[in-house]
Amino acid sequence: MEQKLRQEAKALLEQGKVDWIIGFEPGSLKFTTTPLITKDKNDADRLVINPFIVNNLADFLPEIKGRVGIVAKGCDSRSIVSLIQDNKVVREDVVILAVPCPGIIDLSKVERLVGKDRDELDDVTREGDKVIIKVNGKKKEFPVTEVLFDHCLACELPTPQEYDILLGEPRPPAPNLEVSGKDIENLKGLTPEQRWEFWGNELSRCIRCYACRNVCPACYCQRCFVEETEPQWVMPVPRWQDNLLFQIVRNIHVAGRCTDCGECERVCPVNIPLRSLTREMYDMVDELFHFKAGMDKEALPLMTHYEQEEAEDFFR
Amino acid sequence: MANKKVNKKDIAKLLNQWRQQFTVLAPSKENGVAQMAEWDGKDTSFLDWYRNTVIPPKASFLPPMEEMFRFQKDKEGYHIELPPTNEHKQLIFGIRPCDARAMTILDMTFEEAYQDPYYLSRRKNAVLVGLGCTNPCESCFCTSMGVSPTESTNVDLMLTDIGDQFLIEVVTDKGKELIAKASGLKEATKDDEAKAKETKETSYNKITRKLDTEGIVDKLQASFDDEGFWEQTAAKCISCGICTLLCPTCYCFDINDELVRGEGTRFRSWDSCGFPVYTKMPMENPRLEKWRRVRQKVCHKFEFYPMTFNVIACTGCGRCIRLCPVNWDITQVLESVPVKTGVRK
Ligand code: SF4
Ligand code: SF4
Ligand code: SF4
Ligand code: SF4
Ligand code: SF4
Repeated sequence: MEQKLRQEAKALLEQGKVDWIIGFEPGSLKFTTTPLITKDKNDADRLVINPFIVNNLADFLPEIKGRVGIVAKGCDSRSIVSLIQDNKVVREDVVILAVPCPGIIDLSKVERLVGKDRDELDDVTREGDKVIIKVNGKKKEFPVTEVLFDHCLACELPTPQEYDILLGEPRPPAPNLEVSGKDIENLKGLTPEQRWEFWGNELSRCIRCYACRNVCPACYCQRCFVEETEPQWVMPVPRWQDNLLFQIVRNIHVAGRCTDCGECERVCPVNIPLRSLTREMYDMVDELFHFKAGMDKEALPLMTHYEQEEAEDFFR
Repeated sequence: MANKKVNKKDIAKLLNQWRQQFTVLAPSKENGVAQMAEWDGKDTSFLDWYRNTVIPPKASFLPPMEEMFRFQKDKEGYHIELPPTNEHKQLIFGIRPCDARAMTILDMTFEEAYQDPYYLSRRKNAVLVGLGCTNPCESCFCTSMGVSPTESTNVDLMLTDIGDQFLIEVVTDKGKELIAKASGLKEATKDDEAKAKETKETSYNKITRKLDTEGIVDKLQASFDDEGFWEQTAAKCISCGICTLLCPTCYCFDINDELVRGEGTRFRSWDSCGFPVYTKMPMENPRLEKWRRVRQKVCHKFEFYPMTFNVIACTGCGRCIRLCPVNWDITQVLESVPVKTGVRK
């Protein structure tokens, strides 16, 4: 897959079919990759595909001028489609290099599983349905479902539907909603008062780094409501109430465009379980409007159109 | 004063003695993320898991948010009410050498450049008890920034792991007082000193990430206008605040008023030069393009700070590397600054 990607990327740049390639190259720390954004065909040899290609590269599309060849996992491709639906990206300007995705390894889960930090591990490799973790020279084997990101366990589209070049055998979806939705179900079991307390505690850690927003392809506003001062919707100081308001409004703003890529939760430096909000919103959008973000580029964006049967009774 | 030692299992006893006079802060994950938090009087399990905190100890001196004052507005005008004076007698236990150095670097701004009463009231009354690293992170590069992972320079007392015990170096007068108030400490023997020396050497050699800062100020000056280099460097950055807000030497803050029905509060909170709306309030941000903001972050630490205070404002703590959403690595960036002749003046 990696070889094919490198060849295709190089050819795209050589033939002038794209101005840019956006993909992944090895990162500077163990078990990391880092976005590679380049115009240079010689860089294509650095491209990698492995179980650590975490970033949703669609995030970079709106800011890049010119035609782009972009490496996309299933969820990333949905974000690209969603951006096309929103007229943020022109379909003809992107060449989607589709990765049939077997799921990405969540290093935080690995750390919890073996009780070591990621940089203390000798190796983490995937072999089919197993993950092999080497610590202090000893190998430990676990079912891969124990270390994949929650959103990967819920993945409905591992292989992009919208693509130009497919880099491997398509993989069928095999969502395991029971495992992936455990945290959310637990929260639903609480009383509203308990939930309020839970989120108050969690959000009290927020430092307003805005990584959750900036890493999100659905958050592309030039001027985010949190930064408006006239009127001021929310204080820029990291008080838990303001932090909560920020997340609630952000969730409403990405409803119908959030593809459950999990990036917001992954990047949060203070471990706020943001996916418990975004995935719940995702399911509500599905339930109320029968809409899944980024599945069909011809579909009208959820928030800009309206159907008779969506009306509440008082509305009709 | 000669060096002392303490049994690891007696750390709780020691901290409890100090707790009579200080608010003792120690590494904690209680709140879901590793940070210095008020110690509960018993839990010393951090001795097993603690490598470094996510939230840097600067947060105990320049908190993510604080009330500067409250005010009321009536017919006669504004009435200002300062926050209650608090002695802020904090004892930070277990601060790492990189972060302790960062406090010295912050002092240059908050004490030398101007006197910041909020910061200084906390800083003056605090004591720092350092704990040397034995298991540094992959992202640490302190030894390249002139900090050894076990050095005692910027703390009042310094602890070094010597097996079942810690060797205690008494560094300052404040440290002497702390020792005077503690019972149950033993004198360190020659053998202990030898063990500590060995720990220090081993720890030093465990730091594998290196950065060559030779001539970095000149290199950055010469490349300041190299737009192509900075654009490429900034390409994958998403302009979040992680690497600045969580950097132990970054100190930018924002000031905001909240006025509700005539009652107001002035807050100050962490801000970042990486944000597009930075300095939006007094004027427009002169650094609209992302590459200008990334350049500012790098140059502030490695060019402007050395020019003003003769020290690089980076201690190699590695937070910005390990917490960055896109693995933007400051050591790689600095190594890739082009070597140019003809220094910009
Ligand atoms: S809200 Fe989070 S999960 Fe949803 S698209 Fe944005 S980054 Fe991905
Ligand atoms: S990433 Fe986490 S800390 Fe940063 S703004 Fe979002 S919720 Fe807050
Ligand atoms: S943490 Fe990384 S992505 Fe965020 S501003 Fe810093 S370099 Fe950019
Ligand atoms: S720039 Fe990075 S490595 Fe240097 S002190 Fe700041 S967070 Fe630590
Ligand atoms: S940078 Fe050095 S001093 Fe700081 S935590 Fe790492 S090893 Fe310790």
